[in-house]
Amino acid sequence: MVKELQEKVKQLFKDKKVDMVIGWRKGSLPLSSSPLFINKIEDVDNLIFDETCQNNLAVYITKDKRRLVKDGKKIGVIVKGCDARSLVLYCVEKQIKRENLVIIGVPCKGVFDKRKVMEQVDNKEVLGFSVNGKEVTIKGQEFEKTLDKFEIASDSCQSCVYPDAPVFDEFITEPRKEKPDIDEFAKVDKFEELSLDDRWKKITDEYSKCVRCYACRNVCPSCYCNVCFVDQNDPQWIGKSPEITDTIIFHLIRNLHVAGRCVECGACARACPEGIDLLLLNKKITKEIKERFGYTAGINIDEKPAMQSYCENEKQDFIMG
Amino acid sequence: MSDWQPKILAILCNWCSYAGADLAGVSRLQYPPNIRVVRIPCSGRVDPLFIMKAFQTGYDGVLVSGCHPGDCHYLSGNYFARRKFAVIKPLMEFIGLEPDRLQFSWVSAGEGERFSEVVTKVTKDIQKIGPITKMVKGV
Amino acid sequence: MIKIEKNKFDEFLEILKKEYNVFAPKKEGAQTSFKEIKFAKDIEFNNINTKIPKEIFFPQAEELFMYKDSKIENIEKKKAIAVWGVRPCSAKSFILIDKIFGRAKQKPGDKNFEDPLWKTKYDDSLVFTIGCNTPASTCFCNWVDCGPFDSTGSDVMVYDDGNGFLLEGISKKGIKFLSDIKDFEESNDKDRQNIEVLKNIAETMLSKPIDKDLLKVKIDKSWNHSIWDEMSAKCINCGACTYNCPTCHCFDIQDEGKSNKGKRIRLWDSCMFPDFTNEASGHNPRDLSKDRFRQRFMHKFKYFPENNGDYLCTGCGKCIQVCPVNVDVRDVLNKIIEF
Repeated sequence: MVKELQEKVKQLFKDKKVDMVIGWRKGSLPLSSSPLFINKIEDVDNLIFDETCQNNLAVYITKDKRRLVKDGKKIGVIVKGCDARSLVLYCVEKQIKRENLVIIGVPCKGVFDKRKVMEQVDNKEVLGFSVNGKEVTIKGQEFEKTLDKFEIASDSCQSCVYPDAPVFDEFITEPRKEKPDIDEFAKVDKFEELSLDDRWKKITDEYSKCVRCYACRNVCPSCYCNVCFVDQNDPQWIGKSPEITDTIIFHLIRNLHVAGRCVECGACARACPEGIDLLLLNKKITKEIKERFGYTAGINIDEKPAMQSYCENEKQDFIMG
Repeated sequence: MSDWQPKILAILCNWCSYAGADLAGVSRLQYPPNIRVVRIPCSGRVDPLFIMKAFQTGYDGVLVSGCHPGDCHYLSGNYFARRKFAVIKPLMEFIGLEPDRLQFSWVSAGEGERFSEVVTKVTKDIQKIGPITKMVKGV
Repeated sequence: MIKIEKNKFDEFLEILKKEYNVFAPKKEGAQTSFKEIKFAKDIEFNNINTKIPKEIFFPQAEELFMYKDSKIENIEKKKAIAVWGVRPCSAKSFILIDKIFGRAKQKPGDKNFEDPLWKTKYDDSLVFTIGCNTPASTCFCNWVDCGPFDSTGSDVMVYDDGNGFLLEGISKKGIKFLSDIKDFEESNDKDRQNIEVLKNIAETMLSKPIDKDLLKVKIDKSWNHSIWDEMSAKCINCGACTYNCPTCHCFDIQDEGKSNKGKRIRLWDSCMFPDFTNEASGHNPRDLSKDRFRQRFMHKFKYFPENNGDYLCTGCGKCIQVCPVNVDVRDVLNKIIEF
């Protein structure tokens, strides 16, 4: 598959269809990969795709003030299902023109959550891994352990219903026709069964770990404000200490800012150095929006995002009669 | 805490609900004195941050009120506001805050009586829940 | 050197607790971090992947003072701190931060600047450093003048030979502490030989260090070079590396108050944030991702060594582990050398 991918990217360069391609290369640690920016054909050989390719590469389109793509340059991005949805979102939100984008889909079989792997092997040093169907063998200095692939997959992958790019220009192999038979919101439903106080306790326990490094915000492709509301200091909206109410407000408001725009790629949760379950609130919002407005982010380029549109005769049960 | 009285932040749109509150006053209608009013141009201006910030500073409840659907001075501000509210309230409940602390209503400039009813209801609801403890920032 | 059998650690902890608040690695959920310890059973002895202990002496949010009405209330002093089980890279980081907070000088001959919050905590403390028998693959302490058994910054050096801990006094404070406790047996020659073996094994597990002289030459010339564009392209400018770095010590000061009371707090800040250098005029001297990325490495490997003689990095490899996009310091240093 990787060979095919490399050939395809080389071909794109040869045909002058792209000026730059963003993909993944092998990382410096056994369970990691690293974003790779390919400007010339020779660099293509470093390209890989496997279960370690956890970054959502779409983020590099909007990252930093110096944007990667300038005036009509064509950029190719190698994407999993969720990453492709981010690109669609960018097109909808006019961050990049569709014709400047070459979406190269790869068949995603889920990515690892490094933290889950480490927990399974008692934090012992991992030296390598091999995938065999639904099983993954983790190799270390003095041990070898076979794990169920689903169990060590990222939370977002465990509830993913769009593993393949819904919109693409090129696809390596064939996109799967059937959607996976997964209850997207199982975790949300389970959480909702708890009592109010239990929920508040769980949320505060989880978010009190936050150190406000903003890794979640910065890896999030949907977060591309020039100045984030937490960085504003005139007026300063929220405190900058890891105090719990400030922290919850930061996360809650961030979730609301990406409401109807979140593609549930789970990059935030994987980036979090403290291992906070950041996806739960996003999933809740996604569920709410899907049920109420029938909208899913990043599937259709011609559809207006849920929060940027309205319908006059909507249900308004939450408003006092 | 028998003499405890809730403090409620009322965020009212300039064109309808604020005028409605005005009318309630001019008409000498009685309603509980627990609300503190903030006037905003349109309910569409309400940032979820305003609401969370109010809880953080110790307000026991928040009431957001705007023009009836179709009556918005800016044509569609309250429709967008409604979509926002549809997400904020379930999310608030989801993280474990009492949902009744946050209430939305549509009150037009002519509905002074309705305004007093709304405030009475919101105050009663929040009196029932009691003082806010969960989201308040201690100093 | 005294020897503490592992089953006698409880007794040792009791002695230590008399005079000190004891901090040690504790497992909570999936993470092991330094927490105040009451019982020996709470201590996680074997995990090399703990969070860094910087927070003990330099908490993320620290109150400078509090006020109520017009009265200022100072923060009261707490019992002295003992830290058990920091790794040599962390112990060295205390010394490095101490160069800033403890004895910084504007120019030679000046009086030391002393940060009271840091000084009161750090100066009375007792640091027990445990040698690393099996360094992790992310460790590169040997690159930056540290090592798996380096005793810089330690009061007492601890060696784990499998059966028990061997304690060696390093600083005056540490030697005095050890001479005051009597109930434990002295180590013998065999123990000492064991330690040497452990040291040798650990050394072989580390990678070959870089050429420091070459690094100095190259980094001086690198400012305008395109390698910084290349290397910073993938950096997303979060603060994960700085907040997990034992030596990063930049901070911000904020006032938080409401009606008649409030506090002034000191918070960790990060050079990775655009806010860090944003000026009141709106101008930002480090506006681009690249500028901030370069600053982090320049500070660690050029400015700090020039001013204080040491790299501001102890090779703990924490930043490599937490980086969401796999920015690896070792790759960065190698690239600087190679250009």
